[in-house]
Amino acid sequence: MTTDIVDTAAGLASDSPVAALRQQREAFVRHTQGSHDVLITPSDPGGVSLIERAAAALRVASIERDAALVAHYRKRLLEVGADVVAIEAMNVSPRLEAILRHVSLLTTAPGSATRSDLETLRHAGLAERDIVVVAQIVACVSYQIRVVAGLRALAEEMRA
Amino acid sequence: MSGRFTLEPVEWAAWIPPVDAATATPRQRAALDASPQRDSPYFLTLAHDVDSLEQRSPLFHAVMYVPRGLPRADRELATVIVSIINGCVYCSSVHARRFVELTKRPDVIVRLYDEGPGTQLEPRQRAIADFAAKLTREPQAIAAADLRPLREVGMDDLQIHDLIHAVAMFANANRLMQTLGEPVTA
Repeated sequence: MTTDIVDTAAGLASDSPVAALRQQREAFVRHTQGSHDVLITPSDPGGVSLIERAAAALRVASIERDAALVAHYRKRLLEVGADVVAIEAMNVSPRLEAILRHVSLLTTAPGSATRSDLETLRHAGLAERDIVVVAQIVACVSYQIRVVAGLRALAEEMRA
Repeated sequence: MSGRFTLEPVEWAAWIPPVDAATATPRQRAALDASPQRDSPYFLTLAHDVDSLEQRSPLFHAVMYVPRGLPRADRELATVIVSIINGCVYCSSVHARRFVELTKRPDVIVRLYDEGPGTQLEPRQRAIADFAAKLTREPQAIAAADLRPLREVGMDDLQIHDLIHAVAMFANANRLMQTLGEPVTA
């Protein structure tokens, strides 16, 4: 049984009113966690390594300044044996640099992406599935950040 | 606002070759069948990574269509607001048409397209638009005070919960749709 990433990042105790509210939407909870798990901790990572996946997720959380999710993805990078300091300083391979630059673009200005941005990823060695995985990670963490932020506000309101 | 946004149907073309529907694996087939437009180029592109599509399609479906809680028209309105802010012509076209089907209010969409999310709206729509815009643009700035306008138009806890997820789902959808291909106006 894995820890629920949204409950943890939003600071929701399992007996809190917002955690109980979430249980009314079982499919949201299951597939929000499921999306995270298949993208960040897959049993078969295929062409995008576990380090690249966690580094991409960390990049989104860092740009959006979500401290709890930054901590979560830093921890995950350590678990898979990455040099977190080097990754955060962009002191990385050309391939990971290309991935992280793409992640930044998709996070901050998704409407500015072009066909040539995917060509850059191809030149860096990413196959079609890998390109979809990177986009899904950005999409998943961008979603997660807003769910967590909204639920934190709801919890704050209920405590008041 | 840009004149690119439309209430007309829009096509979408991928920038990488989508999966061939005729040669999809059984898992890809099942995940596609659970997707809103099963053999569209968009879902055939996402099918390259069946693991994430298997989770995302049921999540999307639940967030947009689960019974009770936030009325469907409110979910559609929120996703149109987010899609306008993020510039997603395809997403806004699909969900603006759903909003109009449910409400018979094309005038609301036309005003949003012409003047942006700040246009004059009825109180409930205003509250939804302001919350959706802030959660989209500045998720870290959202606080309990931002829920007050939603409470003032009568939203309960479950409705606010659903609104948060509809907004978040389109932070997701707009990022996939705009970065793996582009809209093609018929």
